[in-house]
Amino acid sequence: MKPSVEGRELITLEVEGAPIHCTYHWLPVSDTFGPDEGRVGVLFLNSLSLPRAATGDSAVYWADALAACGYPSFRIDLPGLGDSEGDLPRELLDFINSGGFARRAAQSVQELIDRFHLSGIVLVGHCAGAVSALYTAAGSTTCKGLVLLDVYFHLPQAVRPKVRRELSDWALKSRVGRVLSRIYHTMKKIRLLLRGDRPPENANFRLLSRWDEISSAGLPILILKAPARQAIGAKPRKGEFDYLAYILKRVKNRNQVTVKLTEGTDHSFANRLGRDAVRQHIEDWLRSYFPLPQQ
Amino acid sequence: MISQPETFCSAQPWVPEEAGYFAVPGAHLYTVLHRVAEPLARILLVGPFASERQNSYLPWVRWARHLAARRIEVLRYDYRGVGESFGRFEEMTFNEWSEDLRLLGHWFTKREPSVPVVLHGLEIGAILAAANFLRGMGDALLLWSPPANANQALRSTLIRWVGLEQLLTPGAERRTAGDYIRQLEEGTSVEVEGYQWSARLWQASFDWELPVELSNERGTHEQQRPVRIVKLPKEAAPLVKGGFVGYDEVKDFTWLFQENADWIEGYVTTRNRVGNEAIS
Repeated sequence: MKPSVEGRELITLEVEGAPIHCTYHWLPVSDTFGPDEGRVGVLFLNSLSLPRAATGDSAVYWADALAACGYPSFRIDLPGLGDSEGDLPRELLDFINSGGFARRAAQSVQELIDRFHLSGIVLVGHCAGAVSALYTAAGSTTCKGLVLLDVYFHLPQAVRPKVRRELSDWALKSRVGRVLSRIYHTMKKIRLLLRGDRPPENANFRLLSRWDEISSAGLPILILKAPARQAIGAKPRKGEFDYLAYILKRVKNRNQVTVKLTEGTDHSFANRLGRDAVRQHIEDWLRSYFPLPQQ
Repeated sequence: MISQPETFCSAQPWVPEEAGYFAVPGAHLYTVLHRVAEPLARILLVGPFASERQNSYLPWVRWARHLAARRIEVLRYDYRGVGESFGRFEEMTFNEWSEDLRLLGHWFTKREPSVPVVLHGLEIGAILAAANFLRGMGDALLLWSPPANANQALRSTLIRWVGLEQLLTPGAERRTAGDYIRQLEEGTSVEVEGYQWSARLWQASFDWELPVELSNERGTHEQQRPVRIVKLPKEAAPLVKGGFVGYDEVKDFTWLFQENADWIEGYVTTRNRVGNEAIS
């Protein structure tokens, strides 16, 4: 068994005495960019309970591609996830939404920077992984940028009540259900309008305050959004609070946040269209904000 | 300050886990060896297939740790073209995956000290494990929810995926599982949860059956080597399809692990006793 082949190396980080499994995507032998030292690296965090390869191994594809562009890339399994050992809370989603992985993710960032002599790390997170990335970046001096795929700022339920699920299914499948669903969402919209610009009760206020910290520090951020059900463009569906508009309003320098909608994909970004679009957006954004040193 | 949740999905006592790449012709397979100093037995895990991997990974790894903590050395791996392994999924069929398993099994069974080797497969992994077992690999076979053939497993994955797709697709654009199956049968590939299913894979899946010798209780009893087949209940999700992502992966699987590890231990004990009696 070899630890390193074909541009990838399996490494182990040590965080709080426990091994963290990581795949390091390095540049091929025909590297035209010189050694990794002094460059910005890219670190992918787990999305919810998924292993570090992510849905359809999309994270493997992105990390390979970014390494080939000159950005050393890393994918880790946070403690208890994937191949890394550690205890996991039964309420994993709540744990992540309250920043449960942030401390150990920040330690992993530091260890990668020290070991590979990087100038900093760009964190990439998808869905719950984006939430972890935001918490990790807050207060960090070594995190130089963030890529957030379908980040959310509310507190979702891990398991919706059965009645609610069945009602949603019925609303999707029956004509009467669809009509009632439209009425329901119109009423939600009216309620939202009455609330003004205030986020709803189930907003993740702790995470929103981390957003304020990060954006006031001027960190470059790329937000990628997949089309959502019954939504137009980057806007949410009728009746749902527009968190994206809300967080963008709070940014002092609007140029630091780039928002891209990726068409033809779904929330996982794992199909060919989605993964290619994500790769292209990240590559363009990295080149713009973190140009590679000239040879 | 983050409050500590009340219940935890606990890790097993620590056993060294060595991740590495295993060379097969044209690719490298990602493997994790749960190394045990004085093993009672070894077990080669043939795990969840393609898109099933991402949801089943946590309980699958915990199963490996459960076994290692009971002095059963474990080798688990990713199929070629899946997860951390190299290779292009769309170019693979079951012949390559079966051959990869044969090569891994050959390496694993040669490890010292020599102890009984159990082959263990889940769903499509069970079909591959069973095929290699009948060709002589391993001393015992443990199968979890083997389908009648690989197509049955692919079909149920497709149906579940189409169900999710339909939730996200406007009415006019919705396609049924039948539409995708027709597409595969007409020779066009279909992308399922990020994996390109080739028409060739679909066709070959009909030929990869659970061997007749193992498809009924009588057949399994007639085997010279012990065989155990377990149909996992829905409570075993996400090791079987279903459950809630981010919720069911972290639940307690001791009820399943304990019983199956007991069977392996029981087999090893019996084998050792028979061996000792023969010597004396």
